[in-house]
Order: sequence, then C-alpha cells, then structure tokens
Amino acid sequence: MNSQSVSELKEEQRTSLRSVLLGIADDELIMGHRHSEWTGWAPHIEEDIAFSSIAQDEIGHANLYYQLIAELDQTSVDMIALGRTAGQYTNAVICERPNRDWAFTLARHFLYEVAERIRLESFRSSSFKPLADASAKLLNEERYHEMHADAWLRRLASGPVEGRTQLETAIGDALGESAGLFEPYQLESEALGSGFLPSSSMELLHVWLEEVCSRIEDAGLPFNISPAPIGEVVPTASGALMGDASSDESVPAAKPAIQRKDGLWIIEGPLPGSGGRLGQHSAEFQDLWDDLTRTYREEPQATW
Amino acid sequence: MVMKLRTRPPVPENPRKLTLARVYELLREVSDPEIPAISIVDLGLIEDVEVGDDNVVHVTCLPTFVGCPALEAIREDIEDAIRAAGAMAEVKFVFDPPWTTDRISEEGLAKLEDYGLAPPSRSRPGAVSLTLMSPGSCPFCGSRDTVLESPFGPTACRATCYCRSCRNPYEKFKEI
Repeated sequence: MNSQSVSELKEEQRTSLRSVLLGIADDELIMGHRHSEWTGWAPHIEEDIAFSSIAQDEIGHANLYYQLIAELDQTSVDMIALGRTAGQYTNAVICERPNRDWAFTLARHFLYEVAERIRLESFRSSSFKPLADASAKLLNEERYHEMHADAWLRRLASGPVEGRTQLETAIGDALGESAGLFEPYQLESEALGSGFLPSSSMELLHVWLEEVCSRIEDAGLPFNISPAPIGEVVPTASGALMGDASSDESVPAAKPAIQRKDGLWIIEGPLPGSGGRLGQHSAEFQDLWDDLTRTYREEPQATW
Repeated sequence: MVMKLRTRPPVPENPRKLTLARVYELLREVSDPEIPAISIVDLGLIEDVEVGDDNVVHVTCLPTFVGCPALEAIREDIEDAIRAAGAMAEVKFVFDPPWTTDRISEEGLAKLEDYGLAPPSRSRPGAVSLTLMSPGSCPFCGSRDTVLESPFGPTACRATCYCRSCRNPYEKFKEI
C-alpha cells in the first residue's frame, strides 16, 4: 500500500521510516561536510568548485530528508540536523573519516557515489511516495557526482605510477569500511514489511560489491580490500571491536571480512565499518560534530 | 542564505480574486535570482496554479536543484508579486514530476543564450561518462570548437566550459 504523506502512517511505521530517513540524511550531511572541507584547499580551482558544489548538493539533499523527519517528529529541520548529540547521528562511519589526502578523498567519493545511486534506484519503488519522488529527482543530480568520481578514477588509474599507486592504496583502505554504508537500518525488517525499503541493505550491498569490483577492475586497478581498519576502531553492531584480532591469540592474522569466492560475495563476521547506524562513532566524528553544531549550540535561534 | 534587506509588500486584508491569466502574467515577472535572464515560467518551474474560493493563489513549483539556495528567495518573490497585486499566495515545492531542463521553454533557451549562458541540450546524458556531456556551442561566438572544463560551476545548475575559437570561458546550464 502506498503512503502519500506522513499523516497516513501508523506510529510503528513512523519509527521505522524515521530510522531509514535518518540514516541516509546523516550520510549526506556528514559526507557533504567532509567535502566542504576542501573549499579553498583543493589541488586546483576546478576541484575546489567541484567539491564545494557537491557539498552544497549533498547538504541540500540531507535537508530534504530532514524536512520529512521534521514532519514525523513535529519539530524543526535545524533541531534534527544540528540539535542532536553525537551518539544520535546514524551516518556510516566511512562518511565521518577525515579527508586524509586527495587519493583517499577520491576513492571514498567514488565508492560513496556508486552506493548512493544503488540506494536511490531502489528507493524509487518505495511505498512512501515522498521518498520515491525525491529519489527520482535526486538521481538526476547525483549523476554528475558519479561522473566526476568516475572521471577521476579513470584519470588516476591510467596516469603516472605515483598517482595510480596512491589511488590503489586508498581504494583498498576505503573499500572495507564503505561496506558499512549498507549496515542495516534500525528496525529494517519493519521498514521492509511496510515497503518503505523495497530491498534490504544486504541485497544492495551485494549489488554494490559486484559493481564497484567490476568498475575498479575495468579501470585497471586490483580489487583488494585492506584487512586493517583505516582509523581508530569503532565497536560494530554486535559490540565486538572490528579488526581487533590481537586480543585473541587463537585468531589468525587479519584477513578481509569480505571476499569473492566462485562469483559469490562472502561476508564473514561483523560487517566492516558498521556501528554507525546505531550511533557508534569514532573520536574523529566527535571533532566533526563539534565543528558542525557549534553555531547551533551557541545560538539555537540563529537563522541562516 | 536569503538577504532580507528589502521591505516586503503587506499581506492584503481583503485579498482580491485574480484570474489565472493575471497570475501567470505576474509570475512572468519573477525570475530565479541566479538566472535573472528568464522568468520562472520559462524555466518550467510552475507546475500548477489554482485560485481558491478564499482568493488564495496556490502555486505549485518544482525545484530545479534540491540544494539550490535560491529556492527560498523564489518562494518569497512569488508571494510578494501576488501580494503586490492585492492577493495572497501559498507556494509549495513538490518533486513529482521531477523538474528537468526539458521543461525550459524554447523562448527560455534562446534567452539563456542571449544572456551568455549556453543552454542545455534537449537530451540528457544517461551513462556515467563525462565525455558524454557536451559543452554545446559558445554563447559568444557560436563556435562548436568548445571544451568542457568541469561539470561544476558557480551555481548548482552550471558547468564550466571554454571556447577555443574566441578564447572565452563560458558557463553552460547543465542537463538534468
């Protein structure tokens, strides 16, 4: 059954819809915030403009989702976007990782944009019409982000050795935690039951793995997921510390939790890069949150 | 960010009933502040106009780019244009159908070009490749010896291009 608006939903439906919207909105806001950190600092002016524009788009998209959540919560968009504690944000951990360098920025940008398109294509058949409509609209805009990411992947992959090597390492580093973009939302089974989510996060993870693997290999780069965590370790959804093998003598040397065997993707143990959808974040996120919400915390009535 | 330095027309106490034709006439005077050359009607932003029994004009608009900071300014400009004519407006933005550059009128495309902004082509790039996005013709000299410098520009809707013939950089309204 299709829902035209928030007012038609039952209480438990609202809760599961809210958790889906909050996950994707927070991904967009935090990714946009990281991109905006290149404003004034990118390697050349076209890229300064590109990342500033993409940041503006992503934060605008987050704003759209926050408007729907504000309707569910009967509150303001600013309150949702900026008035929460760090532990109430449900973005995937990969989004909050610092930009590090140009290679890591581009690697994550590519992996994120492919994930976002796959997610939006799936949302087009959401039973919640405002989400389905927004997804159709956003796909048209996101196309340019993915074009941009794809152009850089090819440019660096077919260019001089240094850039190619750096990109290869960065992709290996970012790949594992990017899988956390498909960590299930809280109350995902309810959202699937109501048709808000047409496909489960795990189904989409397989689609994403298949696509990024073939695109990376087409560009002439190896598809290797680095087994080491890329930042400080964040508790996973199960509470275990990801990649923390040293504490247990019986565990052999770390190996990637995601591997391809006979054309199938095998995911062993907790999903790398997960925890974000439950509000578990790194200390790096705390710094970002301080920066992002400072003005709002000092002056909640400020208008922009 | 919307600069609120101007004074807005007062809300009329007894709103007048405007005809649809009159409303469209008023909307033709409103433009996107980032693209002043063409009206929001030519831009294809207006999806529907209804004048209610209470004389309130309900304007349904389609946002161009979702994150475009001009949207709130456009909303206020529509409200002000209708208020100045003695009526009241309620503006809402919807996403169904999605706004695309195909909604820009022929006249609008010509005005964009006169303004110095290469108009979007009627076909949108489908596959994921930058090479498929055309830089179009130079709005200054008409040459097709042009290159796409970046799919991004000073506003969400513009790409940055360069004309190798007259050696001018120019901007293009990108297809979405």
